[in-house]
Amino acid sequence: MRFLPFILRHLRRNWARTSTTAAAIALCIFLFCTLQTFVASLTGFLMQGTTRLVTRHNVSRAFRMPNSYEAQIAAVPGVKRVAAANWFGGMRDLSKPADVFTNFAIEADSFLAIYPEFILTDEEKQAFLNDQRGCIIGRALAEKFNWKVGDAVELVSSVSDYRTSAPLDFVISGIYHTDQVRYPGTNDALLFFHYKYFDEATGRKAGVATYRVEIADPGQVGAISQAIDTLFENSDAQTHTETEAQYRASLGVLGGNLVLLLNGIALTVMFTILFVTANTMSMAVRERRTEIAVLKTLGFPSRFVMCLILSEGAILGAFGAVTGLLLGRFLLDALPNVPLIGDLIQSFPRMSLPRAIAIGGIAIGVLLGLTAGLIPAVLAYRARITELVRPT
Amino acid sequence: MAQPNIPSSASPAAVTLQHVRKVYDRDNEQIVVLNDIDLSVPTGEFVALMGPSGSGKTTLLNLLAGIDRPTSGAVIVAGTDVTRLSEGELAKWRSRTVGFIFQFYNLIPVLTAVENVELPLMLTSLSRTERRDRALTALKIVGLADRARHYPRQLSGGQEQRVAIARAFVTDPAVLVADEPTGDLDARSAEETLDLLQTLNQEFDKTIVMVTHDPRAAERAHSRRHLDKGVLVKT
Repeated sequence: MRFLPFILRHLRRNWARTSTTAAAIALCIFLFCTLQTFVASLTGFLMQGTTRLVTRHNVSRAFRMPNSYEAQIAAVPGVKRVAAANWFGGMRDLSKPADVFTNFAIEADSFLAIYPEFILTDEEKQAFLNDQRGCIIGRALAEKFNWKVGDAVELVSSVSDYRTSAPLDFVISGIYHTDQVRYPGTNDALLFFHYKYFDEATGRKAGVATYRVEIADPGQVGAISQAIDTLFENSDAQTHTETEAQYRASLGVLGGNLVLLLNGIALTVMFTILFVTANTMSMAVRERRTEIAVLKTLGFPSRFVMCLILSEGAILGAFGAVTGLLLGRFLLDALPNVPLIGDLIQSFPRMSLPRAIAIGGIAIGVLLGLTAGLIPAVLAYRARITELVRPT
Repeated sequence: MAQPNIPSSASPAAVTLQHVRKVYDRDNEQIVVLNDIDLSVPTGEFVALMGPSGSGKTTLLNLLAGIDRPTSGAVIVAGTDVTRLSEGELAKWRSRTVGFIFQFYNLIPVLTAVENVELPLMLTSLSRTERRDRALTALKIVGLADRARHYPRQLSGGQEQRVAIARAFVTDPAVLVADEPTGDLDARSAEETLDLLQTLNQEFDKTIVMVTHDPRAAERAHSRRHLDKGVLVKT
């Protein structure tokens, strides 16, 4: 601590260089934190429901299965519950694509039992189950459209098969909330309504896009999936059953490759910034070779001079990391409110900067500064005074 | 100007060099910079080391300041054979025993005059107040108490060198070594610097070894030693 003012003076000496280097580290940590938050959110989302399977049409998600499959799936040994769920693609106004949000027609009673992460009060749940036109929405969606319980909502489907002569009208029965600690990544910007209402409105021709299946034993995933698909292998609508994680991962952008890509980007940026910072610090130390010689001449041990340079790197790294962290937090808070991008972000699970990633970001910033300062510090440690004072 | 206070021949030696040889290896060639140097500087003496460029003056000064090591021979300063010390021990020894004055002052530009003088005291166990008091006293001795808060860029060359001298003696070392201390100064500043060195020698009993090209500077010393091609020549 005695030498902290001395280190800070050196960092302030060339403020332009110090601030640009800190900005480079800040950019790196900002990218790391936002990307890792996204990855963590996505991973939590993908990994939810190890006891849940999704059965869909074997050909494509665009094809639907008969309603009669439900009873047969429910009869498979090891299956606890089954619920039909169709992505409705409903919009308040088809001419406003930016206004989009995700909505599903569900068999409410069993679906809510299978998905405990959508938390309702008993009153709200009963109100929803008792009202065929009822719907429940997430807190984020309620805040976005300023909706409250009892409000009426009209939706027109963007899927032509689901389109009805008049918009489907709903009444908000409840606003579900989520527990991001117990169920990280739970989306709180969804709308759920009754499958029965949807089925009747579409003339009972819509069919079922997915069956959500809860099983008793996660160890039986393979056997039960196979048993379900075997049931329908000789039918017109063969099925494909997979875990919910696999189903989510196969939704294109949510694939595992995205996580790999994001981690790759973060790593590349980190290495680039490391080289830039190391080069800058080497230059800064090279300019001070005479001062290093003076310190050694005065009796400062070589290891002390090395620690001084490493401390400069660490402080620079920490400063950049904190700046990057604040930037990242600001962006994660602000993004959902940005037009167009905000709607896209809200369709993803809730993203907030986890403490572990924030600590990791600061640690990486400090490590980056230390690593960047390592070579000049070691060179300063090893250099002899007579070499340092010699004109270059 | 005060007459030099010449120490008696009975004074114990502050610096003793015995058969010192320094050889550099450059491109597979051995260059002998110092050859079989024997030198004794009594305590309290002010010695001027003279000689042409490349004669080995600075190398000799570096050896007795403990910032370089001889190829062979013994360098005994204030009773310690510095050739036997490890790097860590040598650094500690330098901080206590030797004050070094550079030709180009080499003050730390981000520190004020008083902070520069305080720097060697950072290695001691003194409190912050004690360090500051000592540094201010040293600046007072060199006549720069009123410039304590000034940065090196706000000082003239002569003032910078006086701050550097204050930094060299603030730890009260036994020996001061000065490498061309007036080499970068105008005549007036050079005189002031030499006056100051003489004061330190006479009033504070500092043993001073000064490398210089300037015969007028050398005249201020009690004795002059000449080096030529790495060998001390008798004058």
